Amino acid sequence: MTPRVAVLFGFGINCDHETKAVFELVGATADRLHVNRLISGDERLEDYDILAVPGGFSFGDHLGSGRLLGNRMRFAMRDALRSFVDAGKPIIGICNGFQVLVKTGLLPGPEAGHSPDFIQRGSLTLNDSGRYEDRWVTLEFDPESPCIWTKGMTRMECPVRHGEGKYVMPSADDIDRLDANHQLTVRYVDPSTPPGAGRTDEALPYPLSPNGSMRNIAGICDATGLVFGLMPHPEAIYARWLHPMHTRHGSEASSGALDGWEGEGLQLFRNAVEYVKQRS
Amino acid sequence: MPVTRVEVTPRQGEGMRDVRGDVVRRQLKADHNISAAKVRSICGYLISGETPSEAIAERVDDLFADPIIEVGAANTTMLTTPSFGDGPETVITVGFKPGVTDNPGKAATDGFLTLFPADGNAKIATYTTYVFYGLPSDCDANWLAGTLHNGLIERALVADRAACADQSWPELTFPTPPEQVFIEPQSIDLECDDATLEEISTTGLLALNLNEMHAIQAHYRDESVRQQRADMDISPNAPTDVELECLAQTWSEHCKHKIFASRIHHVDHETGEDTVVDSLFKTHIMKPTHDMQKDVDWLLSVFHDNSGVIAWDDKWSVCMKAETHNSPSALDPYGGAMTGIVGVNRDILGTGLGARPIANTDVFCFGPPDWEGQLPDNLFHPSRVLRGVHAGVRVGGNESGIPTVNGAIVFDDRYIGKPLVYCGTVGIMPRQLPDGRPSHVKTPVAGDIVYMVGGRVGYDGIHGATFSSLELTEESPSSAVQIGDPITQKKMLDMVLEARDAGLITCITDNGAGGLSSSIGEMAEYTNGCEIDLAKVPLKQAGLSPWEILVSESQERMTIAVKPEDQAAFEALADLHEVEATAVATFTSTGMFHVRYADATVAYLPIEFLHEGVPQLQLESEWRPPELPSFAPPSTADHSELLQGMLQRPNIASKETWVRQYDHEVIAQTAIKPFVGVERDGPGDAGVIAPIHGDPHGLVISCGIAPRYSDIDAGAMAAASIDEAVRNAVCVGLDVDKMAGLDNFCWPDPIESTKTPDGRFKLAQLVRANRELERVCRAYRLPCVSGKDSMKNDYGTGPDKISIPPTLLFSLFGDHPDVRKSATSDFKFEGDKIYLVGESKQELGASELAFMMTENGQAKGVGGHVPLLPHPEQNLATYRALSQSIRAGLVRTAHDCSEGGVAVALAEMCIGGRTGASVDIDGTGSGDVWGRLWGESLGRIIVAVSPEHEDAFLSAMKGHPTTVLGTVSASSSLTITDGDDELVELDVETMAGLWKGTLDLTGGVI
Repeated sequence: MTPRVAVLFGFGINCDHETKAVFELVGATADRLHVNRLISGDERLEDYDILAVPGGFSFGDHLGSGRLLGNRMRFAMRDALRSFVDAGKPIIGICNGFQVLVKTGLLPGPEAGHSPDFIQRGSLTLNDSGRYEDRWVTLEFDPESPCIWTKGMTRMECPVRHGEGKYVMPSADDIDRLDANHQLTVRYVDPSTPPGAGRTDEALPYPLSPNGSMRNIAGICDATGLVFGLMPHPEAIYARWLHPMHTRHGSEASSGALDGWEGEGLQLFRNAVEYVKQRS
Repeated sequence: MPVTRVEVTPRQGEGMRDVRGDVVRRQLKADHNISAAKVRSICGYLISGETPSEAIAERVDDLFADPIIEVGAANTTMLTTPSFGDGPETVITVGFKPGVTDNPGKAATDGFLTLFPADGNAKIATYTTYVFYGLPSDCDANWLAGTLHNGLIERALVADRAACADQSWPELTFPTPPEQVFIEPQSIDLECDDATLEEISTTGLLALNLNEMHAIQAHYRDESVRQQRADMDISPNAPTDVELECLAQTWSEHCKHKIFASRIHHVDHETGEDTVVDSLFKTHIMKPTHDMQKDVDWLLSVFHDNSGVIAWDDKWSVCMKAETHNSPSALDPYGGAMTGIVGVNRDILGTGLGARPIANTDVFCFGPPDWEGQLPDNLFHPSRVLRGVHAGVRVGGNESGIPTVNGAIVFDDRYIGKPLVYCGTVGIMPRQLPDGRPSHVKTPVAGDIVYMVGGRVGYDGIHGATFSSLELTEESPSSAVQIGDPITQKKMLDMVLEARDAGLITCITDNGAGGLSSSIGEMAEYTNGCEIDLAKVPLKQAGLSPWEILVSESQERMTIAVKPEDQAAFEALADLHEVEATAVATFTSTGMFHVRYADATVAYLPIEFLHEGVPQLQLESEWRPPELPSFAPPSTADHSELLQGMLQRPNIASKETWVRQYDHEVIAQTAIKPFVGVERDGPGDAGVIAPIHGDPHGLVISCGIAPRYSDIDAGAMAAASIDEAVRNAVCVGLDVDKMAGLDNFCWPDPIESTKTPDGRFKLAQLVRANRELERVCRAYRLPCVSGKDSMKNDYGTGPDKISIPPTLLFSLFGDHPDVRKSATSDFKFEGDKIYLVGESKQELGASELAFMMTENGQAKGVGGHVPLLPHPEQNLATYRALSQSIRAGLVRTAHDCSEGGVAVALAEMCIGGRTGASVDIDGTGSGDVWGRLWGESLGRIIVAVSPEHEDAFLSAMKGHPTTVLGTVSASSSLTITDGDDELVELDVETMAGLWKGTLDLTGGVI
């Protein structure tokens, strides 16, 4: 089967084209779907296997990033979203999409074994620097995370492009609980550490951590590992020619898609597409 | 309607910060050296609607406050809550003035309706309160408020120390605009003497000269015109206010480019030339491009549309446009610049049948950010202009999802009088639409229905076109300033591109300067007529008079024509995207621009008179070379010290703090970014994008700007700008056989008058710049496909008048066959051989070094030999050979050599690679050591080549000036010698620190 991906757009989402493209590069079919088409019932979320909420500036980030789009989804798509999660279908939110998923309460979501309750438990707030920035960061994944999106991935470089990417929760206990379940899927790390040994709870200095996120959190998953969100943009390194250092490494081919020019970010999307294929 | 107040403030506690407050604290330190112990912020919402306060109070955490990070409450003044303590020393509340676009308020209203769908007329206004603790005792509260708001568009309330001690907190009320008085169209009697005619133009802000007023007067004396008008029941012998305003907009310098179209009597006292130029535009810009169009098959659409279009491959074409937004940015840097960037995005959307914007460029010219001299009345300090313009462009570009891939920031004292804000956008469209129509050709016919799509029309934005055609004065009107709304525009953009692909659009254009008057008026030329009903136009606020509706430049609007049978589908698409689309006109073939307000005809102008009736200006131009003291460097100098100084010059220093705040890689296509190298902080020479996902076929975007060369010769300035744009693009691997350019001229008023006694000289500068533009573009086979001019960049009159240096921004877009074969400026590998391509001559006139040493008292002037381009054909051949070497993989390091010459270019290449280099400049050209180290001769690019490719590179460059400079070294120092003479030795981290520190402007406060 060919998995079908619903890529949301409208109201200021703006990474919809490239998000559609990366899913198609790994063998899915993807549709850009205006949020209102799902709300009106013209299109049904249940007809899709994967939901992607791309990056952007929905409603201009006013009243807090992801808030207003999150509200539209929380109030107008509640049942469809709950059924989608209960059916075990993967969801990803990238950047503004992550903010939306956090503010709808889908991330980090309730404890294992419970349906989504749409209660907000964490938040993404203004970067400590006070500035929106586009800069490349180094990420490391928790190898024990239940996240189906990041299986087999260790370290990746990609850009962050946000002004509100600092992940916070009300108390250290809240984060400890997520950590115990390996839901702190991806963190900012110091690139000078050996791969696999970079993740730390100690706050990294700016700009290694671009936003001052608690415990350097870059992305989290829900208890099932199917719903995943992150501030950095893995789709922005779908090809190696998008890496800032590609002129240094020359034009020699490596493995993977795009004539050997596959970028590190593509694996994340392939993981979800393969997961759906194997499940069906 | 009752008003409910909701206030929200960030939670205090571990891991939580009040970042908005911190930003203000950092700015106070950076811009004014004032330390505040703490600044906190409160976001306020004033909700005017029928929903009871108690109901709103229950939902505060569902909408206004994020319960994890914020505390919110309805009908409670946050300042009275314990968390603010009793210690605030100053409190300042800032909100918008009535009628000014309040984007957070708009978004809040939308979110409010999600929760309270029954309260359809609810409106929300926002404000921000800043609460200061631990301020220096001499810091005046009203002065502080002045730094935090712009009185033209915002209002502020202040609680000073005494008021704070009294706990008397400022409370802004809901901003209700004053009633607009609807004025029935009037006729304006033009049967009067010349003085009265001029007065009508001046008091009405029409910006029409006496000749033009005479032409209008003559139209209404024509008997056949009078008869026609009588038949339509409109004042037969005199224009209505609607008509006069419409003519003023359409004939404005902004819309008609009257100076570029003028007949110029040009005298050159250097050569004895005495000649007439009939239209600079037609002679020097249009003709060369049309000549080149005969030789290539990829120039699809030039000059007549909203942007120039070239074929990029068999499936896609690309287009580009750049605009300026100088006057609005001087009055309101944030709003002015934002409307600049979102406005030029609409030019792309309005090209052909609609193109998708995929990349932005931003070039700014400002006064020095550390300016300590006098500031004329009504002008902002350059650092505030920089912050505001940058923020406007950042928000406009980022929220629209368009990456900013290229740009520049230039500083000169004279830009204090008028900042230049150039915004450019690149677009892409399929060569053919699904219905088979070529997308770059508009196809309207009489009978098509004309929609206004997007935002509504308001009092904001009246007289922008005519206002920008006048010099800035203290009385400049606030209605000429607007704030853009990128999200409304993004929704419209999504909708329009869907409509295009569904084949619903027959014609589309932007509503920019001149509003509906210009947009429908220009499109009506295709079918030779239109009929507009202004009563149908949706308004932000009732009561606008017909002429105001017609000329208002309210933002986020496109004008789109649709076939009658497609109306239902078009409107359904608009509904889906929550975009307002209203049929306001019909195309006709009557030859008339016919405007009604409901049943009454309020304007009835022949299309031909509207567009062709403006009389040609007759202007005088006189060239005498300016006499400037020559730059004479001292006999000896410490070049290491000079290099340290040069790296800190604002014109050379890193702009990273600013540029990094632009999203430069959304769309996942940017292959060469503004930052390159191991620490991602070296300068990128040009942007390269690969816009089709999965395909490495690329597009190069670059620019060139060299305004200070105008001090010696504006012709040399133009040539240098073009050459710099081409060099930058060559550095990344441009195919020089497929490139196109944009000319954006910003000039001081070049029309001789009592206000401008040196108008002849300024016009001669324009003539020389255009002649060089033609000469160099023809030699480079570089067609100009679109351009724009802004001709009134002066502040004030008399001895205090400030005129900008004549400035040409040359933007370039061109083909890159494979982005995987690109080069960047950072030195890469130890042992790579460094070469200079091109020759260094003795050209230090108006150089950055000359300016620095003159300002420091080490030299007496900046005059002398300005860089020239005597043999551009040879340069092109060299560029072709070099870019082919890059695309063959022989060269992976290349950097343009411009401001600061070889020394600065090498320093930047070392910084990018965080590596040293050892270089000898002996034998690199005819200049002396100053010329070879610091001169800014054109045509030069520094490259580095790995030893294995050195022979192949040299044979590829055979016949082109290529001189070995040295080697990328393992050491951490840049050393430069001239034969045996040691000139420079500097550590790379030292250089990086100096280069990156100057324009940081974060105040060093954490």
